[in-house]
Amino acid sequence: MRVRAVVLSALASAGVLFLGWELGASSQPAQTSNAATTTGQPTNPGASSSATSTPTSTPTGTTTSTPSASGTGLNDGTFTGKTVNTQFGPVQVEVTVASGKITSVKALQLTNYGGRSVQISNYAAPILRSEVLKAQSARVSTVSGATYTSDGYLTSLQSALDKAKA
Amino acid sequence: MIYVFETMGTVVSIEPPLKVPEIEALFASYNERFSLYRSDSELSRIADGSLRLADASSELRNAYSLALEWRSLTAGVFTPHRPDGIIDLSGIVKALAIEAAGHVLAEDGDWIINVGGDVLTSGQAATVGITDPFDRTQLLTSARLGGSRRAVATSGSSERGDHIWGGRGFAQVTVVANEIVTADVLATAIVAGGVDTLNASTSGWDIDVLAIDPAGNLFATSGFTVSIAAAAARPTAH
Repeated sequence: MRVRAVVLSALASAGVLFLGWELGASSQPAQTSNAATTTGQPTNPGASSSATSTPTSTPTGTTTSTPSASGTGLNDGTFTGKTVNTQFGPVQVEVTVASGKITSVKALQLTNYGGRSVQISNYAAPILRSEVLKAQSARVSTVSGATYTSDGYLTSLQSALDKAKA
Repeated sequence: MIYVFETMGTVVSIEPPLKVPEIEALFASYNERFSLYRSDSELSRIADGSLRLADASSELRNAYSLALEWRSLTAGVFTPHRPDGIIDLSGIVKALAIEAAGHVLAEDGDWIINVGGDVLTSGQAATVGITDPFDRTQLLTSARLGGSRRAVATSGSSERGDHIWGGRGFAQVTVVANEIVTADVLATAIVAGGVDTLNASTSGWDIDVLAIDPAGNLFATSGFTVSIAAAAARPTAH
């Protein structure tokens, strides 16, 4: 009985594999849509991250480089490192070399608190107060500020704006 | 024309005055269910032990479940639990009510609703002033909304209520997002969680952020900088 079950399940697996091979060989779109449905992510309201599930092992990094005559021993080009699994999740960087010098290092993948891998492109950087104040006197439709109470509203800018429009 | 009414301990401004009775009733129903200032609210009855969470309305359980989801997404910085263990949903209920109001007004053309300093629009181009945390009678700057960028929320370390605990981060944080719940929760979390939460939020969600530390130093994502420049290019008042 047990042998029979094992043989049947092996046959079933082989059938599935063969069907998958057939689909892959005969129909490119079918394969693509299949891939799309398997890159599931945990639900994350509002998240825009385009990062999809990260393979636990990846082939060696890809490089696009041209030989360089510079003396540093570094070839010019853009080099994408391997995805390395750390205790915090997968990490991958891209290094650009020009004239034998590293001109940029970009994190392609890091992980945030939840351990999801994310694309790094949206860090908040210091901005000068003078830059911000340029829009201080713009004509505004409404005012956003830390939550005011019903009493606090009376002295708020929104209150003044509401009176002007009433 | 603008219509102003009080609810949830703050003030709602809605411009133009669309579906006012429905919007007022909507906010009143959220207040009746979730206010811990009313001893007869459903959440107060859970707090005093006279109602079990399992027997609570689906609205309450859904709000609590969403708050717990945000707690895990923000590594515990945003939390629906007071230090004494009481469930306090004030950190998310206002935004949920604004979101529901947005659904009520979905087919009504251009509008702006402002609830205690948190803003949702119908998606039209609009300029939103942002108050100076060190002088609330002044605007620090303003930002341009439009298209999918419909929501702005600002949190401050000294704002009322106690849904920000153990604040060690920013004096004020403004988050622009496509949805008001995301904007409000993340603004709250970044104020409390500081730089780590700021970086985790800007890399994990599609948001623009302006953060001001207690010393007055400013930090902005590139999207926010663009939004400020767009507002600055508008004609000035008066």
